[in-house]
Amino acid sequence: MKRIGRREAWAGFIFASPWAIGFLVFMAYPLIASIYFSFCDYSVLKPPIWVGLDNYKALLHDELFWKTLKNTLIYAVIALPAGMATAIILAMLLNTKVKGMAAYRTFFFIPSLVPQVSLAILWMWVLNGEHGVLNPILKTVGITGPNWMGDPNWSKPSLVLMGMWGVGNAMLIYLAGLQDVPTQLIEASELDGANSWQKTVNVTLPMISPVILFNLIMGIIGTLQVFTVPYIMFPNGAPEHSTYFYAVYLYDNAFRYHKMGYASAMGWIMFLMILVLTVCSLRMSEKHVHYQGT
Amino acid sequence: MKSQHQVATAQKVLVQVALVVLSAVFLFPFAWMILTALKPLDETMTIPIKWMPSKFLWSNFTDAIKYGHESVGYYPFLVYARNSIVLCALIVSGTVASNSIVAYSFARLRWPGRDLAFGVTLATMMVPFPVLMVPTFALFRHLDWIGTYRPLWVPAWFGSAFSIFLLRQFFRTIPFELTEAAKIDGASEWRIFRSIVLPLSKAAVAVVALFSFMGAWNDFLGPLIYLLDQKTFTLSLGLQFYQSQNGGTSWNLLMAASAMVIAPVIILFFFTQKLFIQGIAITGLKG
Amino acid sequence: MDRSAFTIPVLAIAVLGVLFESEQLTAPPPPDGKVHVKYWEKWTAFEFDAMKHVVDEFNKSQDKIQVDILSVSGIEDKTLMAISGGIPPDVVGLYGPNVTQYADNHAVIQLDDLCKAGGIKEEDYIPAYWNIGVVRGHLYALPSTPATTALHYNRALFKEAGLDPEKPPKTIDELDAMADKLTKRDANGHVIRTGFMPGEPGWWNWAWGPFFGGKLWDGKDKITINSPDNVKAFEWIQSFSKKWGASALQSFKSGFGQFSSPQNAFMMSQNAMEIQGVWMYNFIHMYAPTLDWAAAPFPAARPDLPNPTVIDLDVLCIPTGAKHQAEAFKFLQYVESQKGLEMLCLGQKKITPLRKVSAGFIEHHPNPYIKLFIDMAYSKTTISTPKLGIWSQYNDEISSAFDSVTLMTKTPKQALDDVQGRMQPILDQYLDRLHLRGEQ
Repeated sequence: MKRIGRREAWAGFIFASPWAIGFLVFMAYPLIASIYFSFCDYSVLKPPIWVGLDNYKALLHDELFWKTLKNTLIYAVIALPAGMATAIILAMLLNTKVKGMAAYRTFFFIPSLVPQVSLAILWMWVLNGEHGVLNPILKTVGITGPNWMGDPNWSKPSLVLMGMWGVGNAMLIYLAGLQDVPTQLIEASELDGANSWQKTVNVTLPMISPVILFNLIMGIIGTLQVFTVPYIMFPNGAPEHSTYFYAVYLYDNAFRYHKMGYASAMGWIMFLMILVLTVCSLRMSEKHVHYQGT
Repeated sequence: MKSQHQVATAQKVLVQVALVVLSAVFLFPFAWMILTALKPLDETMTIPIKWMPSKFLWSNFTDAIKYGHESVGYYPFLVYARNSIVLCALIVSGTVASNSIVAYSFARLRWPGRDLAFGVTLATMMVPFPVLMVPTFALFRHLDWIGTYRPLWVPAWFGSAFSIFLLRQFFRTIPFELTEAAKIDGASEWRIFRSIVLPLSKAAVAVVALFSFMGAWNDFLGPLIYLLDQKTFTLSLGLQFYQSQNGGTSWNLLMAASAMVIAPVIILFFFTQKLFIQGIAITGLKG
Repeated sequence: MDRSAFTIPVLAIAVLGVLFESEQLTAPPPPDGKVHVKYWEKWTAFEFDAMKHVVDEFNKSQDKIQVDILSVSGIEDKTLMAISGGIPPDVVGLYGPNVTQYADNHAVIQLDDLCKAGGIKEEDYIPAYWNIGVVRGHLYALPSTPATTALHYNRALFKEAGLDPEKPPKTIDELDAMADKLTKRDANGHVIRTGFMPGEPGWWNWAWGPFFGGKLWDGKDKITINSPDNVKAFEWIQSFSKKWGASALQSFKSGFGQFSSPQNAFMMSQNAMEIQGVWMYNFIHMYAPTLDWAAAPFPAARPDLPNPTVIDLDVLCIPTGAKHQAEAFKFLQYVESQKGLEMLCLGQKKITPLRKVSAGFIEHHPNPYIKLFIDMAYSKTTISTPKLGIWSQYNDEISSAFDSVTLMTKTPKQALDDVQGRMQPILDQYLDRLHLRGEQ
């Protein structure tokens, strides 16, 4: 018996070794090096020189740091709920037994497959102030659309709109979760006289709350790092830095201004934010999330 | 007083209407993309907006393929496409190979520290790429790998947290009696993995492969940092060249090119739809 | 059982095949006995061809060195990445404004000794151009193609608006008055033609301050973007939006076609007057040959700043870590000879950076206004980018202020104060770090 145990343990180590090596080389080492660099003045062409907390102090006084942080957080606060709500609503619509559900499901899902670069380029075209198509469409229902890309007040909403267009894969996950909701619960609430709204809020949502939590956390991690779309659609966060996102400023500092120590400090701050937000979400989840079977 | 039946039917109709309207909304940008791709350039810039092209310029697609730099060859788009395909092949094969092996270890082998290591793996999902960007760049610089594809595909051969998580969850659902029996018969772990667990996991592995392909096809920041010679660019970098540096863009060619970049992913999805949706359900992503 | 024993080796071979292919795609070419000098240049189309001609002549003139020229977009960022990545080209054609940043970052080598040994002398060059390559007393870049700017205006539109096409504006006030006459709206109030837009083509938005006498920095350690002269310039910039409507102009501009195409705004007569460089003639000749246009010195904002012109320069540098520095310099020597520079600059239809101009150069030059552009290089009011290593960030900030001002979301003073507030600490930190490394 012990021999099988030892053999199994060895096999375990060997099978897990790719991950172990990868973890050390591509995760642990960069994390530690990045803390070190954040306390240095460093560009790959010049060796690192220790400057202590100087980078962090400079960040505190850097208007762009605060601006990009604000932009990213505002975007996250709007985009996450909007995206989740859209995904859940779509999933609930699909969960009814209507004809052609498979087709609709496909239509809603396909936009989420579009590569980020194509997405940015496509929407640049749709939202174009002069030749775009969104405003003429809005005009047919009597709404005068704003200058989506050129007006600083509307540039972030443009990004939120695009995000809502791409909720396809979150929607599928919610759909799978919804299909797991025990029908007895729903029938029981109907017998109690609950209407659609009450059924949703008191039965359905709590039942899929683990899924919501999972998507929330993944959403936080993803939204705070958003890079490709703002980088392509809004060079330099134009207009007026309204869409200058944290990850893009970080990239600019590292590779365009060659302030790699500074960029490393920004990276660590981002990581700490994600940690804090994730822990907060998990804490809050203890009160609100119901796991089936517990 | 409306009967319950009437309320139910009314709701059903509402839902249908909503689905149709929403479908139109979701599909419209694609339609607009294709319409623009087929127009001559001046029709893309008309005010008021011109909905349909006066003639269907299918040649825009071939023009889009030929558009670009002499240094990249006559058909830059095809060059970028080839690069993307080669890179994706390496990344997807690496992802599937490494993650299934590692997930097997986490799911079905007992060894000291296993659960701690798995916890650490999950925790690494929270680490954003930007914090690793600079040291990783410096690391590849020292290996002289900048300008090659290696920084993009080598890490894929060493496991990634999300895929490990997915596969591990799935592997745990395979009954242990199956593997116990084989072990008592003296089969090695590798044998068990290859002959019992893997064949049963086709759906989950397919999902991981799909996600990995989409990620690789899509990747922008990686190629942006590590690829410097235009001939080696992937499609995501190549798409940028339709926007002139000096201002002004050939929107019709750009839309044609974008359509061609999106198409493979959509086609792939159509063929693997069932598998994909099944995969999301069974890997227990929802719980 | 047999099948699965088969699939893994097959897959392995497939993967190895792909791996091999990927290595091939990024491998260097095989050797052929010559030293290959990698040369990255920013130009495309005919400008690229002009340099390619010089490269071909150089390659033909000897058989030890082969220069391989490549057109690279986004060259100022890509080259820095390549140098950091350890795979720099041997020669790179940068923009003048990049030089200080590259020098401070140790990204390009000093050329003083090479020039002394190679016979390249400062006295041969127009001072405004030579100086662009000098940072903290050392030479880091040699001039390739220089440019100056002037007012380009559409004579047909002038006639249509009742203005004398032989009398272009000489002062900014005149420019404003004429622009007013030339701007047109349609029945719905959309702007359909502009007389002048400070943001078109938008390559020198940073220069308007200096046009009005403002300085961008004090040459030592102070950013001076919010000085009264700069504010005055930005008030002038905002005046256009005030007159015609910020979003009307913004919408109009967003529909402009590509610069290098028949849909260019100036060539489509959508914009009647424009600040442009010596190359503009080529593009008009190519895409709008029937356009009735002329060039003239740009109007002065102040009488003591006549003939303001932006001094633009493309330069050639040798990156740090280049594998073939000596051979690269041999190529530079060839280009910098009078013959080489004139070949290049004639091919690009620009002026040359040398003081001496050979006899046929002006006569054979296709640009009818070439003498004007040469004279501009000796003007009293030459404007070039400040020699700041943080120039790209500073430029981005000024652009942002320019946007705020044209969109009328900030007053000029506010916008410039903001830039001042952001850039001064950045400059302070930058100089501190240089000091820390003993380089200041």
